[in-house]
Amino acid sequence: MIFEVRVKSNDEKDPKGAALLAEINKTLNISSIKKIQTAKVYRLENIKKEKVKIFAQTALFEKIDQIATYNKSIFPKSATVIEVGYKPGVMNPEVASILKVASDLKIKIDACDSSWEYAFFGPVTKSQIDQIVKRLLVNDTVENLIKKPPKTLKISGVAQKVQTVPITKLNDQELMDLTHDKLFLNLEEMKVIQNYFTKIKRDPTDCELETIALTWSEHCGHKTFRAKVTIDGKTKAPFISRIKKTAKNNQKLIISAFDDNSGVIDFYDGFAINGKVETHNSPSAIEPYGGAMTGSGGVFRDILGTGQGAKPVISTDIFCFAPPDLNVKELPPGCLPPEYLLRKVVFGVRDYGNRVGIPTNNGSVHFHPDFRAKPTVAVGSFGLIEKSRAKKGKPKSGNLIITLGGATGRDGIHGATFASGEMTDRTINVSGSAVQIGNAIEEKRLIDAILKLKEDNLISAITDCGAGGYASAIGEIAKETGAEVYLDKVPLKYANLAPWEIFLSESQERMVIAISPKNLKKVQNICEIYNVPNNVIGKFTSDKKLKIYYHKEIVCNLSMAFLHNGLPQRHMVGISKIRSQRSKSGQSSKPNNIKIEKVWQKVMAHGNVCSKEPIVRMYDHNVQGTAAMHPFSGQNFDGPNDGAIVMPILGKPYGLVVTHGLNPQLNKIDPYWGSIWAITEAVANFVSVGGNLKDAALVDNFIWPFPDEESLADLDKSVDACCNMANLLNMPFISGKDSLSSTYRYPNGQILKIPPVLLISVFGKIPDVKKTTSSDFKKAGSTIVLVGKPDFENLGGSTYLDIIKSRSGDIPKPDLQSITKVFSSITSGIKSSQIISCHDISEGGTATALAEMCIGGDVGAEIDIEQLKSKDDQILFSETPGTFLVEVNNENIAKKLFAKVPYYILGKTTKSDTIIVKGSKTTKVKVDTLKKSWQKPMREIFND
Amino acid sequence: MTKPKVCVLRSDGANCDEELFYAFEKFGASPSMVHINELRNKSKKLKNFQILALPGGFSYGDDIASGKVLAVELISFLKDEIQTFVDRKGLVLGICNGFQTLVRTGLLPFGNLGKMDATLTQNDSGHFECRWVKIKGEKSKCLFLNHNEPIDIAVNHGEGKFYAEPSVIKKIEDQKLVIFRYIDQNGKPTQKYPDNPNGSINSIAGICDPTGRILGMMPHPEKFIEITQHPNWRRQKFTKPHGAFIFENLISYAKKS
Repeated sequence: MIFEVRVKSNDEKDPKGAALLAEINKTLNISSIKKIQTAKVYRLENIKKEKVKIFAQTALFEKIDQIATYNKSIFPKSATVIEVGYKPGVMNPEVASILKVASDLKIKIDACDSSWEYAFFGPVTKSQIDQIVKRLLVNDTVENLIKKPPKTLKISGVAQKVQTVPITKLNDQELMDLTHDKLFLNLEEMKVIQNYFTKIKRDPTDCELETIALTWSEHCGHKTFRAKVTIDGKTKAPFISRIKKTAKNNQKLIISAFDDNSGVIDFYDGFAINGKVETHNSPSAIEPYGGAMTGSGGVFRDILGTGQGAKPVISTDIFCFAPPDLNVKELPPGCLPPEYLLRKVVFGVRDYGNRVGIPTNNGSVHFHPDFRAKPTVAVGSFGLIEKSRAKKGKPKSGNLIITLGGATGRDGIHGATFASGEMTDRTINVSGSAVQIGNAIEEKRLIDAILKLKEDNLISAITDCGAGGYASAIGEIAKETGAEVYLDKVPLKYANLAPWEIFLSESQERMVIAISPKNLKKVQNICEIYNVPNNVIGKFTSDKKLKIYYHKEIVCNLSMAFLHNGLPQRHMVGISKIRSQRSKSGQSSKPNNIKIEKVWQKVMAHGNVCSKEPIVRMYDHNVQGTAAMHPFSGQNFDGPNDGAIVMPILGKPYGLVVTHGLNPQLNKIDPYWGSIWAITEAVANFVSVGGNLKDAALVDNFIWPFPDEESLADLDKSVDACCNMANLLNMPFISGKDSLSSTYRYPNGQILKIPPVLLISVFGKIPDVKKTTSSDFKKAGSTIVLVGKPDFENLGGSTYLDIIKSRSGDIPKPDLQSITKVFSSITSGIKSSQIISCHDISEGGTATALAEMCIGGDVGAEIDIEQLKSKDDQILFSETPGTFLVEVNNENIAKKLFAKVPYYILGKTTKSDTIIVKGSKTTKVKVDTLKKSWQKPMREIFND
Repeated sequence: MTKPKVCVLRSDGANCDEELFYAFEKFGASPSMVHINELRNKSKKLKNFQILALPGGFSYGDDIASGKVLAVELISFLKDEIQTFVDRKGLVLGICNGFQTLVRTGLLPFGNLGKMDATLTQNDSGHFECRWVKIKGEKSKCLFLNHNEPIDIAVNHGEGKFYAEPSVIKKIEDQKLVIFRYIDQNGKPTQKYPDNPNGSINSIAGICDPTGRILGMMPHPEKFIEITQHPNWRRQKFTKPHGAFIFENLISYAKKS
């Protein structure tokens, strides 16, 4: 029998209810509801009746400010009450804690659950409630309305049998039917599998077929990046080999590149730092909260799963959405509204990253209408590890395979194959099980335990269970040796899983380690202290076979050679698109009589420019006590900085610097120069805080539409841009990821290509954080200098043209002749403390950079732009990457520092509250006016 | 003089333990990381320490309520050991989640282990807040803090609103148990967001128990013990990081007693 305990606050103020009410008012325009109150519902199964009250009073509610009811409603009859909870089988992270408290109190409970009740006061119709539920409260993928209390909370069932798939006898059409919506392989690949099994004279089991499909999926196999490509008739090396070649640049910095779960470079005092950036677009599109959580969880485990176990010390997040005010009618079928996505993704990052205790201190949000079918959600993490343990471990034959962390359920089955497919209106229904909720504390326990195991030198090799679960983790870690796995030893959430589901499940918060059998007891002892479940599930062999058993039955027996090398290399053809929207300088369609002051405010309020402070303040960017450059600084803590700097070794001055750059808008217009823009921007951010190029490495993320001929040609240009720029700057790419499924197919077959995103992350070291600078102007009376050669002529893709509704195909280009010298002049000016503030110029142009520096410094400025010999608007709003605004004490310093590079002394900071720009006309605008426009958009979305 | 031994108590989800450990080490104490399971299995004992420090974080995910699961665990398994520790004049410091836990064990405000008298509940803003605020110390029962200058300090929490019934608040005030309050730009205690980041009654940011040996606070002094930890160290000149004195005073008191 199930007992229900409902708990609510006594206080009239109910922040959760008030936040929902504000959302309802704003998003749905419903104003009749007067008040919303919330209550927590706990369901306890088979607890002794006399224990219910004791348990509730000790553990579930506090009579100081709360009341509780037992098996009856907690709200007055006048209220309309609905209850929202996770669907059965979706992991509710709170359940484990409730069971722990019960066990600590020696109270027996068989199962439990928790959910939320919402009580609406004031007139509300059934259809309004339906709208609230559908649009704001319930995500069908993981949650549901609880209309009548469940009879039991236990999930029961019998294990499913192993099936043989009679693939050897299928014709082409039947092979395609088999792969559709399930395996996501093409006919050629299906035939290779068919031939293999024909040759060994048997049909595969479901487990074998699923394991091959997973290993060969675009997500895991990177077929496009490994393909031979012919672009516009010219045959070129595979993308991946071209990018890997850049790892020859600055080799002495690199410890491991493209070899482990993340790239590793040298740090100081015998330490190394590692970095990885992942995308989690497909799950976030259908369940943004869980998608963002599991994205964060996955990338933290990539850091943890590097070498013998690195400690994650920074988390970054970069999102692209459709504009929040997108008309619901423009939303493709099966897609969620952008404002909902934005909020839920932010909450997911917040609730996961904050709990795990990794500072989220760098990121950005971008908007473009074409993200309406699928957002881009990228999460990065960077870590610290002893150099002696930083290389990828090699398991030995006879080593044990241990799984650490969470139990395995049906969640996330087909996540990797699903991420490799196009999104359609059916995606949510077919792939719902590919999404799950993360359990941050399970991850935190894993991190604590693994760092201790590493410290005691107990780990031979480690990898995380990400996409593809054990199949991918064990398949990969045992590639050179072979392995035997006993699936019946895997701890399960519920019993009714088929063996292949156990092997492929993407249940979160699991890691696989290889250990020597003699260390088993030590490993178990440490795991016990940290409450980390640990099970021996197999061993490494030497026969180079993947043998999987379920009880006595063999359910998979594949040669590692076929699994990893059987996939035929693709040969792909790309043909460049003729781009037609070229027009000179955007001048042709630019309206006359532009009022700079008004446009400036609109630029500041543009989604790609506006302040993201309300988001950043919800992320714990200060945990670990390492922050040496916070996301915001300045007189009122509201000036944005270009990068994050942490001191990962407390007490040492060494800095780990992380920055990034991207511009989907420009990639869409011009994939080559758009990509140059992104890399230059990422590196400029690094330089802008004081970084030196020789101490940094690059990480790439290509988030691209499905590679048809045209997108493949675009991708080729982007890859070329990456390599050319890396070579020019003598910087290596050491880690990267491609996700080539940014395509949406409407029910009528029409295709929407989501803007291609090249996201570049830079991470590096700096010997002394005291030799770095922030963007806020430090005082009045300083000299303001524009450093680098701006491209005032080309405004294509700029925020400014978007605001004035003009277009141009010519996007701004950095001056590649002078750029390395410009970077080194900034680096040395900061190192010598002569540059006292610095901000790189990006979206929103010089005008935005200047405004942000004034906001941070709480000062005014007076600049003269007539000397720059172009039109006022083009000077102010050109978005040339690799150019900087800097503050120095006087003109002489500028003349010395920048003698060898293009620079312009623009003017001075002032004590006034106004920015004065003298050009062909004089523009005066109050700093506070710009600040208000700049802060307003995100404040509204997050009710700040 | 021997260094006071500090038990930095870890549990699943504690995440400000390393910076707290470092703070104690930096200012001359001898900290050890102790997982609660090591106290439960008796491999480590509180009686070997002079200071018990509960770090910030999300113990057990802050499920049910912040610090709740840990508080129940402490009372279920370590009640006598903690009572003995406190009775023998051991010092206790709880920061953020550590403060939430101490309040939920009842140790704060009145030293009633097992009986809650006050609570820390959801911020008025309804969400986690990561920002720098100003607090000011005042004359209190605390045996080692008497600093009354405004200080800059970080807050990082979602459930930091100090709340108790009016009679309990009065008792706390009358007994001089309030150590720190959130203040505005003019140095006055404030209810205004975000200077008061959570809506705490009477702007209360930190309190002690009537013996003056148990201290709990929501803001994080351990995150400002190096000048470069402040967001504005590049523009504001600090002669000393503002969190330092709390550890210096606590440790030097522990050395004396």
